[in-house]
Formats: sequence, C-alpha cells, structure tokens
Amino acid sequence: MNYFVKLGLVLLLITAIASGILAFVNGLTSEKIKANKLVAEQEARKEVLSEASRFEKQTVTLPAVETEPNPLKNKVEAGPRQFIYYLGYNDESAIVGYTFVASQYGYSSEVKTMVGVNLDMSIARIKVIEQSETPGLGANAATADFQGRFVDMNQEQLQVDKDGGAIKSLTGATITSRAVTNSIAEGMKILADAMTEEGK
Amino acid sequence: MNLWKEFSKGFVKENPVFIMALGLCPTLAVTSSVTNAIGMGLAATFVLTCSNVIISLIKDLIPSKIRIPCFIVVIASFVTIVDLVMNAYTPEVHKSLGLFIPLIVVNCIILGRAEAFASKNKVLPSILDGLGMGLGFTLALVVIGSIREVLGAGQWLGMNVMPLAYIKSPMLVAILAPGAFIIMGLLMGLINIVNKGK
Repeated sequence: MNYFVKLGLVLLLITAIASGILAFVNGLTSEKIKANKLVAEQEARKEVLSEASRFEKQTVTLPAVETEPNPLKNKVEAGPRQFIYYLGYNDESAIVGYTFVASQYGYSSEVKTMVGVNLDMSIARIKVIEQSETPGLGANAATADFQGRFVDMNQEQLQVDKDGGAIKSLTGATITSRAVTNSIAEGMKILADAMTEEGK
Repeated sequence: MNLWKEFSKGFVKENPVFIMALGLCPTLAVTSSVTNAIGMGLAATFVLTCSNVIISLIKDLIPSKIRIPCFIVVIASFVTIVDLVMNAYTPEVHKSLGLFIPLIVVNCIILGRAEAFASKNKVLPSILDGLGMGLGFTLALVVIGSIREVLGAGQWLGMNVMPLAYIKSPMLVAILAPGAFIIMGLLMGLINIVNKGK
C-alpha cells in the first residue's frame, strides 16, 4: 500500500513542478502573443484599405437567425450575433472606408478574408488571412491573382461565375471560391444595412 | 569517439524516419514544403534534446512502474513551452506549424528515445543522442519536403526552381497526402537497397 502512495506522490511532484514552469512561461509570453495578434490584424486592415491610417472598431448586433426546427435536436442554436467592422480614417480624420473579416467554411477549412470597402460600397482590396484548403487548388485563393478579381466589385456582382456573378472562380475549386465570395457578399450586405440605418 | 557515435548514428545508420520508421505521422503531415520541414524538425530536436536531458537527470528518482506517465509529462511540458515561445517570438512560423506542434507530444521518436536511451544513459550522451536523432529527423523531413515541394509546386524554400510552364501546372499529387506516402515509400526502398548492397 505504501508503495502505491509513494508512486502517486512522485507523479504529483513531477506534475506540480511542470505546471509551475508552464505557468511561468505562460506569464512571460501571453502579453506578447496578444500583441502579435493585434499587430497582425492591424497590418491586414492597412493592407486592404491603404488610404486609412487609423481604425475604429464598430459592432452591429444582428437579429437571431431563424433556424429550421430540427427534430433530432432540442436546442435551437440561435442567439443574437455580432458583426464587427472597422471604420478607416485617414490622417485628416475623415472616413475613407471600412474593413471587416468575412468567414465561411470552404472545402476543408474555415476561410477567413479581410475585406476593405470604399465609401461607395465597392471593394478596395481583399486578403485571405486564414485557410487550409487543398494545396494547388483551393489554397490558390490566397494568391494575388484571385484576390485581385474582387477589386472594385460591388455587392450585386459578388457571386462566382457559375452562379451568375462576376467573380471568376478558381479552376477546380469552385467551393472555395464560393465560400470567399459569399462570405464577403454577406458581410457587405450587413455593412450596407448598418450604414443606411445610421445615415452615414 | 564513442560520443561522436551517439551523435552521428541518428543521421543514417539509425535514422529515425527511414530506418526505424518512427514519427511517421508528423513526417507525412508537414513535408509539403521545406520551410515547414525545417521548422518542425528543429522544434522536435529542441524538445527531444531537452526531454532527454531532464529524463536522464531524474531517471533514478522515477519508479519504473510510472516512468511512462512521467516521461509524457516532461515531454508535454517542453512542447507547450515551445508552442508558447514560438507563438510569441516567431508568429509566422507558428502560423504554419501551429497544428503540428501539439503532435510532437505523441511523436514516438521522443518517447522512444526517452525510453530506449535517456532513461539508461548519463546526461552528456543523452544530449548528443537527442541532437543527433533530432537532426536526423530534420534531415529526413527536409529530403522528403524538398522532393515534394519541387515536384508539387515547382519551388524550393519558396523560390521558383522549375520553368514557369511547370509551376503553372505542377505534379500536384506530390504535395497532397498520397504523394507523401509514395515518396516516403520510394525513399525507404532506395535506402534499403543501398544498405543491402553493402
């Protein structure tokens, strides 16, 4: 019996030391990790809306989504959603555009795109910031060639060519192209609604 | 002389990937580009060396019945440290390796060396064993990664090395999952032929 208590104590000691060290390292790095994330986002925003030098966060609360009643599930997963966008200001503190992050599941991963929007609700630039789609096919969504296809498009044109829109989809990767395009279109719509509401 | 042997055995004679066939899961997963291969290899080398040191230091304190959970705790701690430090100071590398770093915990090279070598040897040979095995692992990853990246994307370390016409329509299968299996199988076969011929 004593032997087993000793085994437990040794293991306890080792795990206690290990967690102490981990807590210390976490304390050293967590601030830096947070800062890195903010810097990376800020840089992506600047890239898609190059005229702006300062950004201001805005939040829109969207009405809850009506989901189809699912007999297999008791819970209806719907609540108020939030849409976050940023107002971009230039050096003279005039608004020059907006940015937001569009996100939708593509072929094999969540595809996140940073979108810069001009004041006339056309796209300034987009940048795919997160994806792990098929290399050589869907992953080409992150190339300058594909991202360039969105420049100057407005919300009505935002559909892939297969669905009758103006965005030429990637060869062999319609699903990824559609995810990028539709998520941006959805974001543009929410953004436009929010602008009319505020009369800006 | 003996110490040199402990260090160099990991490169060819006991190469963890090609000869011992250990750690194949990360090998297949991260070798789609040379950059990933180097990052993963060096991170694994660091964890392997550190865990070998600690385990050879505390080997006499650990009762043999619970040695495996103790090894895992030591290894998992180092993996978490590497994860946090890379996230804080090399965010770009962390972004592409993020998914694979937690996999180092279950990389059987590391547990294998802890069990087979570090728990039976002194600190210095354990360090050399860790470094050698780690670099041998890195070497194997880079070899596979080079072949896959050149064939599958026409690039090496992100630089174009093939004619433009090839880059436009490369041999895609090489950077997809099946290509990893095929290329690793061919390399293992090749090495076996060379070894048999001796």
